[in-house]
Amino acid sequence: MSSGLYSIGVSGMAAAQLGLVTTEHNIANATTVGYNRQRTIQVTNIPMMTGAGSVGQGTGVSTIQRMYSQFIAGQVNRAQAGVSELDAYYAEISQIDNMLAGSSSGLSPALQDFFLAAQQVVANPASMSARQSMVSTAESLVNRYQGLYDRLSELASGVNGQIQSTVSSINSYSRQIAELNNRIVIAESSVQQPANDLRDQRDQLVSELNKLVRVQVNEDSNGAYNIFIGSGQQLVVGTQVQEMTATASTSDISKIVVGLKSASGMILELPDRLVNGGQLGGLLRFRTEALSPAFNQLGQVAATMALTFNAQHALGQDLLGQSLGEGNFQSAFFTLPQPMVLANALNTGTASVQASFLVPPPINGHYALDNGVTTAGSYTLTRLSDGRQWTAANLTALQLALPAGEGIDLSSASVGAGETVRLVNAVAQSANFYTNISASDYRLTYDVSGFYTLTRLNDNRQWTTDPAAPPPAQVAADLTSLQAMVAATEGFSFTVGAGIVAGDSFLIQPTRQMADGIAVNVNIANDPRLLAAAMPVRASLGMANTGSGQISNVRTVDGYSSTTAVLPFTLTSGVTAATARVSTTAGAFVAGDYTLSGAAAQFDLTDDTGTITIDLSGTDWSGNEAGLAAEITNQLALAGSNTVASYAAGRLVFTSGETGSAAVQPTVSNVGADLVASGLVAATMVNSGGADAQAVLTIWPAGQNVAVTVGGTTTVYSGATIPYDMTRGATFTVNGISFDLFGAPSNGDVFRIERNAGGSADGRNALALGKLQTQKTVSGGTANYQDAYARLVSDNGNRTRQIEVTGKAQQALLEHAVNTREAMSGVNLDEEAANLIRYQQAYQACAKMLEIGSKLFETLLALG
Amino acid sequence: MRVSSNQIFDTGLLGVTRNQADLYKLQSQLATGRRILTPADDPVASAQALVVAQSQSLNTQYIDAQGNAKAQLVSIEGQLNALTDLLQNVRERLVQAGNATLSAADRQAIGTELQTRLEALVALSNATDGSGDFMFSGFMSGTRPFAGDPATNAVGYFGDSGERKLQVDSSRQMSISVAGDDLFMRIRNGNGTFQVQTGGNQLSPPLINQGTATVDAGSVTDVNAWRAAMADTSIWTDAAHSGDLRVVFTVTGGATEYQIYDISDPTIPVALLAAPATYTPGQAIALRSATVDFGANIVINGAPADGDSFTISQSSNQSMFDTFQNIIDALETPISGTAYTNVEYSNAIAREMANIDQALENVSRVRSLVGTRLSDLDALGDVAENNALQYSSRLSELQDLDYAKAISDFTRKQMQLEAALSSFSKTSQLSLFNYL
Repeated sequence: MSSGLYSIGVSGMAAAQLGLVTTEHNIANATTVGYNRQRTIQVTNIPMMTGAGSVGQGTGVSTIQRMYSQFIAGQVNRAQAGVSELDAYYAEISQIDNMLAGSSSGLSPALQDFFLAAQQVVANPASMSARQSMVSTAESLVNRYQGLYDRLSELASGVNGQIQSTVSSINSYSRQIAELNNRIVIAESSVQQPANDLRDQRDQLVSELNKLVRVQVNEDSNGAYNIFIGSGQQLVVGTQVQEMTATASTSDISKIVVGLKSASGMILELPDRLVNGGQLGGLLRFRTEALSPAFNQLGQVAATMALTFNAQHALGQDLLGQSLGEGNFQSAFFTLPQPMVLANALNTGTASVQASFLVPPPINGHYALDNGVTTAGSYTLTRLSDGRQWTAANLTALQLALPAGEGIDLSSASVGAGETVRLVNAVAQSANFYTNISASDYRLTYDVSGFYTLTRLNDNRQWTTDPAAPPPAQVAADLTSLQAMVAATEGFSFTVGAGIVAGDSFLIQPTRQMADGIAVNVNIANDPRLLAAAMPVRASLGMANTGSGQISNVRTVDGYSSTTAVLPFTLTSGVTAATARVSTTAGAFVAGDYTLSGAAAQFDLTDDTGTITIDLSGTDWSGNEAGLAAEITNQLALAGSNTVASYAAGRLVFTSGETGSAAVQPTVSNVGADLVASGLVAATMVNSGGADAQAVLTIWPAGQNVAVTVGGTTTVYSGATIPYDMTRGATFTVNGISFDLFGAPSNGDVFRIERNAGGSADGRNALALGKLQTQKTVSGGTANYQDAYARLVSDNGNRTRQIEVTGKAQQALLEHAVNTREAMSGVNLDEEAANLIRYQQAYQACAKMLEIGSKLFETLLALG
Repeated sequence: MRVSSNQIFDTGLLGVTRNQADLYKLQSQLATGRRILTPADDPVASAQALVVAQSQSLNTQYIDAQGNAKAQLVSIEGQLNALTDLLQNVRERLVQAGNATLSAADRQAIGTELQTRLEALVALSNATDGSGDFMFSGFMSGTRPFAGDPATNAVGYFGDSGERKLQVDSSRQMSISVAGDDLFMRIRNGNGTFQVQTGGNQLSPPLINQGTATVDAGSVTDVNAWRAAMADTSIWTDAAHSGDLRVVFTVTGGATEYQIYDISDPTIPVALLAAPATYTPGQAIALRSATVDFGANIVINGAPADGDSFTISQSSNQSMFDTFQNIIDALETPISGTAYTNVEYSNAIAREMANIDQALENVSRVRSLVGTRLSDLDALGDVAENNALQYSSRLSELQDLDYAKAISDFTRKQMQLEAALSSFSKTSQLSLFNYL
């Protein structure tokens, strides 16, 4: 019995000792990272069954338990991966945010200084200091673009470096986990007890790994962890490690991408979307969502600014008097590289793809508003660039029917019945330019079926030659029409060289490098006289002009070149008023289209010796008067008229071929016969074409195509004479030179359009350049430079804010998960202090039992 | 709930660092006075601020341009005032010269004076601005606009018709120069519609008018009738010279009559009146044909000799310099019997008087143009100042800190931080080990 007493006491002391050791282990590891508190699981020993019942045999420790929940740990890890991702993202994006902040560090002050300097050139075109200041501010602006680009590049290379170091940390963790897997399996299989501290270490490594990239963990039956990333790519299986790699992307060598190295050493690139969470996920997301768009948006502003500015600059004249096509005239103010095209490293073909920017098209914001011309009784507004029409019963309704984007205000419009007026929206107040360049990269692929597909990467819009491609992909018949489609909307064109092979792909980056590539034309920078502040043409009025005719707004427009423009040319005002006089008094017979009306419409041809020429449909007929009647009858019949002409005794008489009612008049309209005659006398004839005081302008040299726009309608004349309506004025465009003529010139007044020789005080082109600041030039004419830059700032600001807010939420989630874990697994020193006392007392009590056992034994001995 | 010792420290520390971060941000805001430190603080307002800042900068551009425009226009106005004075002065001399009792020496003296006036006029027309650029040469600021033209032996214009413009408002480009051809060269002579000159004695050319008849500058009574007649090709032998008329007097037996001829083709004069009309001195002679009234008349005084004539032609352009030169020539040509009579002299002075009046009228037209621009500039300046105020207040609304709110936030955060610090230090000191 006493032996039982001893053994129970000893078992209790042993258990209490284990308890004390475990408690001390807890206290000692209270601050160890990844430590989960342990406790002893104490159980009763197997009792001895006696006749008196079951006699207890003391206590024992069945195991030392780690207070750990896989579920809670998983929660912490997931939350941790999210927090690390957002932290890494935020750390990077907030740098862009800071860079764009501040009135002094962004693009905007430099942009404003530049245009301020441009206005100084407008005010003092001949001043070298004003020109120099415009060039200098342009250089500062370019430097600002480059500074921003460099900063973004630093971030990009920083991201590359971090990806590499993160990947190497991940590999290191993977190897350590595999090693621990090995040790845990060995340890646990030998004693059949959990290897608590090794497991703590391994769980801690998994947790650290989650800070780098989100991983999934599952535990084998033998206690080893298998680790996966992405959609199930193995990282660690038991003791096997699959190494992660960080290598330059095959599509863009400037980008480090992650991959997995297979056993055979093959590297499989992992798409960015498969790598989530953790620092690595944050870096990749930052690069895709924030950094690349920032590069591109900045490049978009730079490219658009350079291209539109150059397009206007090319229309000017420098201080040396040179314009496009002459001497060393510099058409470009800014120089800009062409879009970058990167061939995929895996391409097997030899084809090269070239891309180039398109010349910015001019803004078309011209409209014609008519009252009852297009549709009787209604107002119709026609957009002249594409003929799109809106019709409504009145102007108020028409205004409501118009999309606001058209920018047309009809409230002050006034148009009489049957009239047409021309309206110009605010965007197109003067001839300027826009581009369609988008802030996206593009990928061109050539597949096994021989189809080309171009994908705009920011929204995956596609253009393809594959007829089976589902919408919204745009299908082109062949490569040529694919190229045309892209050129029409994307602001650049590309060519594909020979030797393309199925599977080849190319990355086209129109805007990526532009903020870096933009520069001030070095010739202009060295010699600001080459800045084209003037317009190459001017108008002068003849000294003898006595009429009120004025020429204004003489300018060069798209299509001007000194080599094709015919300068100088003159317009001389004349009046064909004579045509209206024919019917009343004897005078020279005048050519024209005639309406003959009245029962006795007739010509009197009193000069039998004259020669008459009829020009109809380009064929001349000449002959005497007798033959004329037959010919005119013939032509009238061809024109569908029943009227016949007869000739007798020097008189040409038209009579109606209608029979029956006398009311039927021989009315012939626009018979189309141009009578060109001399030495004839006409009488009793109403001239419809001549009307009163028909003013004409005679252009010299003749033979130029002159586009005349009156009230929104443009007519092209190529002859020497051009009709001119004094009451409405007109806009003339000849060989890329455009001007407005208005007022009433007197007969013989001369308007001369000439080269602007010596025009040193002319700042018209600088004025047009200055106006680009506020014009909608970017993204297909929807935003000005500053708007586009503001879009970059607000996009990035919004994203930063979003990441900041999500980061805070994720942080709260992590705190919650950590608290839960700590509540379960963390060491509470007060608790451990209590446990110390508890186990001490248990130990003391058991020792007392031994003492009692000893005394009992002594009592027995004393008895003996 | 069970709390681990680590939690007590972590939570305490977190509370402290969070409050510190908030305080740091508030402190930065207070130090800079800006609510938005980076665009992330308020992306929408940041973007708007950029746009407003551009509007503000544009407004500054406009104010600058208005200043430039004003400086230019004021200096042009100064030149125009000087020009008006000069023309007025010449006009006074001309009135003086019109006095028929002047001696040859007097005329010569006036002529000499006017010669210096002509030089003054040339100097004025070649005026330069502060930077040495010619003011009245259009775009060709480096080219002397007015100089003797060897081709015509008169002062010619070598500039162009360009008008320099500045963007003085978002929708307004203002001309800030006056081209010299518009101001000095293209001035219609006569009464602005037609000009009357002595035509010489038709009976014995090339003799000048022999009578004492003087003519006024003529006047237009019906502008539309005049225009219609000038455009009516059926009236004129040569439509290119419509309006060329000659009034010829015949004196037969004491009765003076006149006939009006169409001399648009000078080789074939065509009588327009059905029969010669009787001449009454001082009575208006209507210019007309037998059927058409041209809507204009001239008044002739004095007694014309048989064959004396006056010619009428549509106004053409005559430069101020030519007018001055004509006056000087009229004054300096010695009066001698039949070659250059007092009457011829008076007629010449009267004719050039009308031309000086035309020049004055042209200058005042340009002055009112410049004046209107200057007053427009004042109005635009007010608008721009107003806008400047609005933009800066808008920018301030978007970006600037509400100090009262920020300071109260700061105090609150400060209290929170103090509470966190003190509670952390107290909680962390509690331990059962202290009691063992």
